[in-house]
Amino acid sequence: MSLKQAQANGQAVQVRKKKGTFARMLEQWDLQILLVPGILLVLLFSYVPMYGVIMGFQNFKLGDFPGFSEWAGFKHFQTMFADKYFGLAMRNTLVISALKMFIGFPIPILFAVMLNEMRIQPIKKSVQTISYLPHFISWVVTATLMFDLLSTDGGAVNEFLMWIGIIKQPIGFFSDGKYFWGLTLLTDIWKELGWNAIIFVAAITSISQDMYEAADIDGATRVQKMWHITIKSIKPTIILMFIFQVGGILNANFDQIMMLTKQMSNAMLKEYADVIDTFIYRLGVSQGRFSFAAAAGLFKSVINFALLLSANWIAGKFGESQLF
Amino acid sequence: MAKNPNKIKMRRVASDYVLDIIMVVVIVLVLVLTLYPFLNSLAISLNDSNDTMRGGITIYPRKFTLRNYELIFTNPKIWMAYFITIARTVIGTVGGVFITGMLAFAVSRTNLVGRKVYTMLCLIPMYFAGGLMPSYFLNLSLGLKNNFLVYILPALVNLWNMILMRSYFQSLPEALEESALIDGANYITIFFKIYMPLSTPIVATIALYFGVQHWNDWFTSNLYITEDWLKPMQSVLLQIVNEAKFAEQMSSLTGGVSVDMGNIMQGRNTNVRSITMATMIITIIPVLIVYPFLQRYFVKGIMIGSVKG
Repeated sequence: MSLKQAQANGQAVQVRKKKGTFARMLEQWDLQILLVPGILLVLLFSYVPMYGVIMGFQNFKLGDFPGFSEWAGFKHFQTMFADKYFGLAMRNTLVISALKMFIGFPIPILFAVMLNEMRIQPIKKSVQTISYLPHFISWVVTATLMFDLLSTDGGAVNEFLMWIGIIKQPIGFFSDGKYFWGLTLLTDIWKELGWNAIIFVAAITSISQDMYEAADIDGATRVQKMWHITIKSIKPTIILMFIFQVGGILNANFDQIMMLTKQMSNAMLKEYADVIDTFIYRLGVSQGRFSFAAAAGLFKSVINFALLLSANWIAGKFGESQLF
Repeated sequence: MAKNPNKIKMRRVASDYVLDIIMVVVIVLVLVLTLYPFLNSLAISLNDSNDTMRGGITIYPRKFTLRNYELIFTNPKIWMAYFITIARTVIGTVGGVFITGMLAFAVSRTNLVGRKVYTMLCLIPMYFAGGLMPSYFLNLSLGLKNNFLVYILPALVNLWNMILMRSYFQSLPEALEESALIDGANYITIFFKIYMPLSTPIVATIALYFGVQHWNDWFTSNLYITEDWLKPMQSVLLQIVNEAKFAEQMSSLTGGVSVDMGNIMQGRNTNVRSITMATMIITIIPVLIVYPFLQRYFVKGIMIGSVKG
């Protein structure tokens, strides 16, 4: 490119820059108009509620114009930290998240690795299709199935356990809080195992076959190949997925817990089942303590955001791809 | 390279056999645990309700009958709920795919004026939300209480789906757009006539996500709908399950064989469990039919998402 041309280009850029942003938007009205409905909906349904968090610092009453209620400062946050149910909800959220992270997380990886050992393609494919099935049904349906499966009155699990002689009397899984954490973990694994494995199956398929062939020549056994090639190759994916998991620590599955506790109406489970999200729901929707609930919601959003930022930072430390 | 790699592969040691056994056990276990609850429910729903009370139904009906389905399909509430569910799923999915797709397409164009601002506007809400209470009062003040639109409007844009679609549009060759612009097409035509038809994998994936989200949602109606005729299937199922448990306790107290279904099944005596299972089956059937056909698309869709974050 000659100097003259470059100058000409430079000038052209300058001339274009002098045009106002609005004029340039008008020029491409056909492109701009495509995003108008979407952006308006985002502003309305995502940004207006962000302004609405202000009610967490006020005493909102029904009929108040949002943001113009009497100021309360940090009163609701103080009440929240003093509330013994908040502490309980925090504990339950963290325990359930930890269980899902340390037990629920590795299982789909193992499943993906095992699936990879299945060499008969039609069987592999069908198993995968069936394993996705529970992901597509709602927690309402899942809870219906689980209540039936775990019922004390002829439920398959109790019948099976009595048949093999582990227990004499049927276990009331939903009438004793101490089983609840385990139930949350197991039903979550049941529902999402196949779906969560997809990403690892995809990662495994992209491993070069040359590596396996080279290992064959060196006389590696299948177990050795599984460990040294398959698992080692998908390690970056595993680390990345784990970091995302950390970012969502306060998101105990609301739908799941609401359904398994019959919308928190099962009082026997409350001590072990109440999590941050159900705590907010109960305060706000059931008890009408709107500002208090909004404060708790804001607290959760802020912590989640902080966790995500730190997870992102850790991802950078590991040399993984980052969000920002 | 070895001359005959197949020959080398044939060498098997004991640990290989152990691995095969573990693999088969894992797969069989996953299959049985996944399918049994569904097959059991299907069997119960197709079994005579008095016979079901005797217990011991596994995966096939002992006394086949369609009576349970007859009962639920003679109930106008079920029809209405089914209609509402289908309506919101169809409208919500079509609307969602197009509104979200339009936004994704515009943001994916590098020459979009204000691209950075728009992208930031879309990214922030993905990681920071106002929370349940502010959204609740927003929707109430928009007059969405007991309004069908509460199912549709707040769910038209899904930013996670937007990012997936944006990545896909970005991966298509730019020449497509350039040649169409030279031919005098505008961006609206380019989006509807060129990009959407060429993006079947991602459109199918996103449509599935939207569809499943709408079909399975119970919380929206729980919060905003108090009128029965606007309730979707998930809420009806929820109602049956909750009242069934109540009814079950009642029946065990009185020692009766059959119980009144209360609000949902007005005055019809039958086994609660059979009705619950039949309702559940008709709730999940459409989803079960659709998702296997979209499998090759959503597997691809997830991979796009994982690569681009």
